[in-house]
Amino acid sequence: MAVIYRVNMSDLSIRTEMPGVKYAQTGGRGLTSAMIAAEVPPTCHALAAENKLVIAPGILTGTGAPCGGRLSIGAKSPLTGTIKESNSGGQGALALAALGIKAIVLEGRPADGKCYRLIVNTDGVKIEPADGLVGLGNYETVGKLLGEFGDKVACISIGQAGEMKMAAASIAVTDVEGRPTRHCGRGGLGAVMGSKGVKAIVVDPEGGQRLIPADADTFKAGAKKLNTALKAHPVTGEGLPKFGTNVLANVINAAGGYPTRNFREGQFEGTEAISGERQHDVILERGGQIAHACHKGCTIKCSRTYLDKDGQYVTKGPEYETVWAHGADCGIDDLDAIARMDRMDDDFGLDTIEAGATIGVAMEAGIVPFGDAAGAIKLLEEVGKGTALGRLVASGAEVLGKAYGGSRIPTVKGQSMPAYDPRAVKGIGVTYATSTMGADHTAGYAVAPNVLGVGGSVDPLKPEGQVELSRNMQIATASIDSAGLCLFVAFAVLDDSTALDGICEMLGGLFGTPFTVDDYLAIGRATLAAERKFNAAAGFSPADDRLPDFCKTEKLAPHDAIFDVADEELDQVFDFVE
Amino acid sequence: MPQVRVNLYAMLRKYVGGATSVEVEIEPGRTIQQVLDELGVPADQTRIIFVDSRAADLSQSLEGGEQIGVFPAIGGG
Repeated sequence: MAVIYRVNMSDLSIRTEMPGVKYAQTGGRGLTSAMIAAEVPPTCHALAAENKLVIAPGILTGTGAPCGGRLSIGAKSPLTGTIKESNSGGQGALALAALGIKAIVLEGRPADGKCYRLIVNTDGVKIEPADGLVGLGNYETVGKLLGEFGDKVACISIGQAGEMKMAAASIAVTDVEGRPTRHCGRGGLGAVMGSKGVKAIVVDPEGGQRLIPADADTFKAGAKKLNTALKAHPVTGEGLPKFGTNVLANVINAAGGYPTRNFREGQFEGTEAISGERQHDVILERGGQIAHACHKGCTIKCSRTYLDKDGQYVTKGPEYETVWAHGADCGIDDLDAIARMDRMDDDFGLDTIEAGATIGVAMEAGIVPFGDAAGAIKLLEEVGKGTALGRLVASGAEVLGKAYGGSRIPTVKGQSMPAYDPRAVKGIGVTYATSTMGADHTAGYAVAPNVLGVGGSVDPLKPEGQVELSRNMQIATASIDSAGLCLFVAFAVLDDSTALDGICEMLGGLFGTPFTVDDYLAIGRATLAAERKFNAAAGFSPADDRLPDFCKTEKLAPHDAIFDVADEELDQVFDFVE
Repeated sequence: MPQVRVNLYAMLRKYVGGATSVEVEIEPGRTIQQVLDELGVPADQTRIIFVDSRAADLSQSLEGGEQIGVFPAIGGG
């Protein structure tokens, strides 16, 4: 029986609820956004007691669905002021699902300002003081908790950035090895967790069990279809396990869309040195691991472990976005320095995209020069120390840029644009501009047909066709995020119709009812509609669905491209929302 | 004879001994498909092609002096 635990941090009480019909067939982003939209005043301050943090495994999580271990965390975002769902791999979602937990909702705020930890197991949820954890980074926090509770537990935690309630703070989720390497990174949800006075959530799945589908045969047939499609597709079956997410660096650079030195150029001369191919070689030379799964049941295995020159573990990946943010965007071509910054981000609990983009803005402001890896590391160290400069870095690109009088700040709704320049990859530009989440590539990954030749082909340099592309991708993504599937299943889905058939059969098998592609896409439409309505009530208008001015005025080399999708067209992306 | 530079990526590098890039002499008018055939890179393993940072396909002919990027099906994010 699925349950929702409401943890009231104002009076330290816990309430157990049955999800009821309303939430019976939803999960992941669909559930977090529905609950935030229904229960959080849209105009509240994101760090106030009225905001809520909803932590939810996906619909298919815990069923044995391939790549179905995503964890969604939602709240009103302190970074963007919009509704936010940020999702992560790692073991957290699987552990919650094994306990039959549909969601944990953190409400209120401790009157005493103290810090607590939650212990979640088959007995329910217990609130305890977080003695000995306050002020620690994620690695030390998780190390202590695993030492106390054993290595079978999953931890969901914040580092110093979350405790300081910084707008770029992430929430860490432990991976298969119990390391805090997987993060709900975007949108500053670590600050919301910090505002609730929750340092860490320990989830012990011992005694829990796998969810049993109502129609096991249909479910199994669907799971097999998806798994076969994932193995057969060259992206998910070969490219991602071998080279990881950073295999993208060279192709996005070749397309002239690899944002370089704070979005000044579209190609970086140091790309080969920080590419996925080079990373692959370095990892294997040093005895690291490729084809690593970030959670049990992942069949793609795009994660990896990165060792230093002495063979000592440094971090996971690092992932494409992280390598770009701390690499090309800062003019840095040193993979070891980038890996060290990834480790620092994970430890302090920072969104790696926001952290790197903020350092890029700091470099533009002249705080340290572009290309200065040692200077970038020093800036990040300030976050751990909690200095005034560190707090600016941990507040994100928009705040730091304003503090230094910058006018080239690569954000939409206060959130940094990720690793595709919207002038050279215009479909993703439409997604950045219009997403309910602020600039977010995962919200509608138009890069696939724009550049990668996956899911058809739409010329990335022309404005035509990008709005429809982004709309369709945003709907499909909201469905995937609700199902609890890794977004990378989309590479197979876009090219192979049996993959989507498999997903629908798994959902139908789980519910014990027929489930069509239309039913599946209806989840995404309903989720986006709830998010748009929340944002409108929070004060957002079409004028906020725009890219920074420089994208429309500064030509990007090598294509001399500007972002020229008309505002009126951008306003049509959500024409399906009443 | 004019030359082109062919940059190969990810799984395609194994066909050129792990090299990242090779210079190839061509007769003007040769297509990308013909150049790849000569290098021993199977055309059916290629998915994304750029000539001087512009998307191209296997049938595009070359004059010399071009930079060609050839990728298999890849994705990430």
